[in-house]
Amino acid sequence: MTLTRTPVSSPPAPPAPGRPAKRRARLGRQDGAAHVFMAPWLVGLVVITLIPMIASLYLSFTDYNILSAPTFVGTENYERMLDDSRFWSSARVTLVYVLVSVPLQLAFALALALVLDKGLRGLAIYRSAYYLPSLLGTSVAVAVLWRQIFGHDGLVNHALGFFGIEGTNWLQNPSTALSTLIVLNVWTFGSPMVIFLAGLRQLPEELYEAARVDGASVLRQFMSITVPLLTPIIFFNLILQTIGSFQAFTQAHVVSGGTGGPVDSTLFYTLYVYQQAFVNFDMGYASALAWVLLAVIAVITAGHFLLSRYWVFYGDSDD
Amino acid sequence: MRELSRRNFLVAAGIAAGAGILAGCSGVAGGTGSATGTRTLRYAFWGNTVRQQNFQKAFEQMKEALDITLKVEFADYDAYQERMTTQMAAGNVADIFWVPSPHVMTYEANGLYRPLSEISSLDLSDYSDADLKDFELAGSLNTMPFGIFVPVVRSNQTLAQEDGVEIPDDWDWDWLTDFAIDYSKNAGGDRKALSYGADHDLSFEAWLRQHGEQLWTEDGKVGFTEDGLGGWIEWWEKLRKAGATTSISEQDGVSPSWEDVGDRCLLWFGNSNHIVDDAAMYPEMDFQLHQPPAGTDASAGHHYLYFPRMAVYQETDDERAELAGKVLQYSTSDVEMPKVVGLTMGVPPNPRVAEEYAEFATPDEQEMLRITAQARDADRRPRYEAPPGTSAWRTTFTRVLEEVTVGKASVSDAAATMITEIDRGISRAAD
Amino acid sequence: MTDQTLARPGSPTTSERAGDRTAPSSAARSRRRNEILRHTGLIVFGLVMLYPLIWMAVSAFKPSHLVLTDPGIIPTELTLENFRQGWYVAGYPFVVFFGNSLVLALSSIVGNLISCSLTAYALARLNFRARKLYFGIVLVSVMLPMHATLIPQYIVFSELDLVNTFVPLVLPKFLATDAFFVFLMIQFIRGIPRELDQAAWLDGAGPFRVFWYVILPLMRPALVTTTIFTFIWTWNDFFGQLIYLTEAPVFTVPVALNALVDSQSSQGTGTLLAMSLLSLLPILCFFAFAQKHLIRGISTTGLK
Repeated sequence: MTLTRTPVSSPPAPPAPGRPAKRRARLGRQDGAAHVFMAPWLVGLVVITLIPMIASLYLSFTDYNILSAPTFVGTENYERMLDDSRFWSSARVTLVYVLVSVPLQLAFALALALVLDKGLRGLAIYRSAYYLPSLLGTSVAVAVLWRQIFGHDGLVNHALGFFGIEGTNWLQNPSTALSTLIVLNVWTFGSPMVIFLAGLRQLPEELYEAARVDGASVLRQFMSITVPLLTPIIFFNLILQTIGSFQAFTQAHVVSGGTGGPVDSTLFYTLYVYQQAFVNFDMGYASALAWVLLAVIAVITAGHFLLSRYWVFYGDSDD
Repeated sequence: MRELSRRNFLVAAGIAAGAGILAGCSGVAGGTGSATGTRTLRYAFWGNTVRQQNFQKAFEQMKEALDITLKVEFADYDAYQERMTTQMAAGNVADIFWVPSPHVMTYEANGLYRPLSEISSLDLSDYSDADLKDFELAGSLNTMPFGIFVPVVRSNQTLAQEDGVEIPDDWDWDWLTDFAIDYSKNAGGDRKALSYGADHDLSFEAWLRQHGEQLWTEDGKVGFTEDGLGGWIEWWEKLRKAGATTSISEQDGVSPSWEDVGDRCLLWFGNSNHIVDDAAMYPEMDFQLHQPPAGTDASAGHHYLYFPRMAVYQETDDERAELAGKVLQYSTSDVEMPKVVGLTMGVPPNPRVAEEYAEFATPDEQEMLRITAQARDADRRPRYEAPPGTSAWRTTFTRVLEEVTVGKASVSDAAATMITEIDRGISRAAD
Repeated sequence: MTDQTLARPGSPTTSERAGDRTAPSSAARSRRRNEILRHTGLIVFGLVMLYPLIWMAVSAFKPSHLVLTDPGIIPTELTLENFRQGWYVAGYPFVVFFGNSLVLALSSIVGNLISCSLTAYALARLNFRARKLYFGIVLVSVMLPMHATLIPQYIVFSELDLVNTFVPLVLPKFLATDAFFVFLMIQFIRGIPRELDQAAWLDGAGPFRVFWYVILPLMRPALVTTTIFTFIWTWNDFFGQLIYLTEAPVFTVPVALNALVDSQSSQGTGTLLAMSLLSLLPILCFFAFAQKHLIRGISTTGLK
């Protein structure tokens, strides 16, 4: 099997005239094959995903306190949200968190992935070292660690002390508590970094060789080969880190002790959902909140997908 | 080469898949609802690993004494509640379970408790009628208290002796105000008279009762006014602003952190049972317990006892309910139990056991026994548990205090907000 | 980013290609200088990143009551007491929990690799009417916060009497419910040029053979990534394991760690840190081992 590769700069070849007929003939066959491939997912969908999802959607229109049967109340839960000041503040907190921490985290991840791709001794050690924080990111111990860094007597204040600046207790100050959680998220950039590394691994060597033969500088290679070919992975990380950040829960729960304090400054949206479900036993309202979050994430993700047409380049000639 | 590695992969996948299936099947005593074996019960409780180990020993002793095996479901306090919630939804709660304090009445309102009067194996003869009345919830004995907490002020005797101060027995709030401001100003180093303890629920309740109010009313409503709550917050704010307490920043939040500032606070508002764990954090220091300050004009009968409770699940069958009764009996009426587990969950409510235990108690525990006996012997007005819908009242309290200490809200606004929110929770749960 | 960063091994660096004019030794010297600078930068940054972990490692060896009251990074006393104290949780040695976590993690990996790759291939490569719909559902299933579906899911498994087993935790992995990996693999597959598939089709291969012989080998980085992440996430997953595993013999590492310290008292922090440190070691080893496969990935995508 030989392979001809067209350099990136030229547009993909238009489908050969004989193609449509073949594709149509293949369509019927692929339907069956597709469903064989998707069989595990379909089973999982019905049993594990769909039933709880539909149940929770139904619950969002009920008043359900977990201990007794749910009673139908229509859109009351959704209307309640509009007047709920804690709902709005948790929405705001989450939005700030997403808008700031996702780009920051991805920037670090991409930068370090590029540095650690190859060409340096001891790469495995560096990679493991930078990945290590991600392993701890959602553990119970993080609360203890974060207090050691940002607490009243913590590392940050000690460091500031050298410069004669007096620091406050960053975790207990409503204006800075959220920032400590943003730092926590950025600290765990190891996960997207590994994915970027995997993506870089997949970039074909011949393209770089061809470009070098053509006399392209290293920067030019980066801009014209690495970046475009990496866009599906960048897109993937962007989507999933965004969705993940909207749903961030454990860090806020662990660091604030489940309260979202001080003064609700770290009350992430999912933490609010959790409080409504597991503390107030207001499962109906919690379900409604969850579905609103889903709707928002869906809209934003759809937006990402629509925009992706303009900047994401796929190796397959589809789409 | 690639062919070979894929074949290996297939083999490995097959083995691992087999292991996975095996793991799924062998995941121990599959299913819950029906506990295998005739004299086996499921017992759910919370704590840290030290408590768990102590209780494990007690359960082994219990097994020998009663021939009942307990299948234990253990987690930390928060995780315990999370698991309980899912179990309640699915209807497979453990046979015996500890009741987390925010949910005592919520569980009651939804019929989770099996009335203990129906269980013949539970012998209540050690208790006086007054005691049994104290134990009741909504007029019936459906939970078994297994400890007593009282609000106390813990003093650091090591610091007190160094600074030559003594805590009088008959102190009141005004005296404490002056003393605290004075001490913090003159004590050396970074010592403070006390930590900012406005969010301590039991002390707050003590304040309310002294001022003629209460935390909750008999018919399940908020039992305090804005003035009652406001007065409490004001008292603390006065001290904080005068520098008599540790700053919120130092003590890591409105809920003071014992490990951060415990060794430099002369006084500490807390539960009577906290002394056991807390003293272990500073082994070179000595502590003593005192009744909270109370003026001579304090409303009569303001003392009270708080009971952590355990219950038997309503859906348990009769046979296992009887076994559960025996376990409850042993836990609360046999001195062997506290001998092994200690008093981390408070003084035994059974007066006979408390007496018998006295000779085995550590010095800290003897302090607990002494202080609790004082509260027990005093006149006590009835006390009512938090009604359904109020399970978040403590977090609301914390948040409101944060707003005050940060300057975002005035004390009166904060008090009003808190009462409104709690009221809303109650009315929402009621319908 | 310096020029060195992007150079591929074996390829001439910019300075070398321009080396006709500069003497070789100074080029080597400037390269050495750059390398030292990079190492320094990486090490300093690494230390900053790892400071919390270093603190944790040191504290694990401090007597438990000193961990929080005397939090300096230089310990005054060292002891193994935390490890001794924390080794037995709920009556079982930690080895049991490691074992349980390991079984869970390995089964999850196998489940995910098989089911997610099959699903991803269908969604990325096969042409069928319901494709966009299914893809949409895959994405949407990621978006619903776990706490909303937790209770209904638990009730389903409880009715089937599968609580306190591994089944509720492992079965979903064999049914491609981890949409994250499905999506990851889809993105990787889409990076593989279709000409390869088409060439195989021309040779008469059906979809499965194309999947097995063409796509799967080229997806190696995605498969390795899936393996790494599944292992780590399963090892660290707390909430799901908490509610389904109620009795100590089936506890996994995170559930056991949780039972060490009560949120109501701060006793036992030293034990928590010690056992957290111990539980990090397997995942770290796993990662260090697995990432080599990430590196050894295929450097060409074509079959010549």
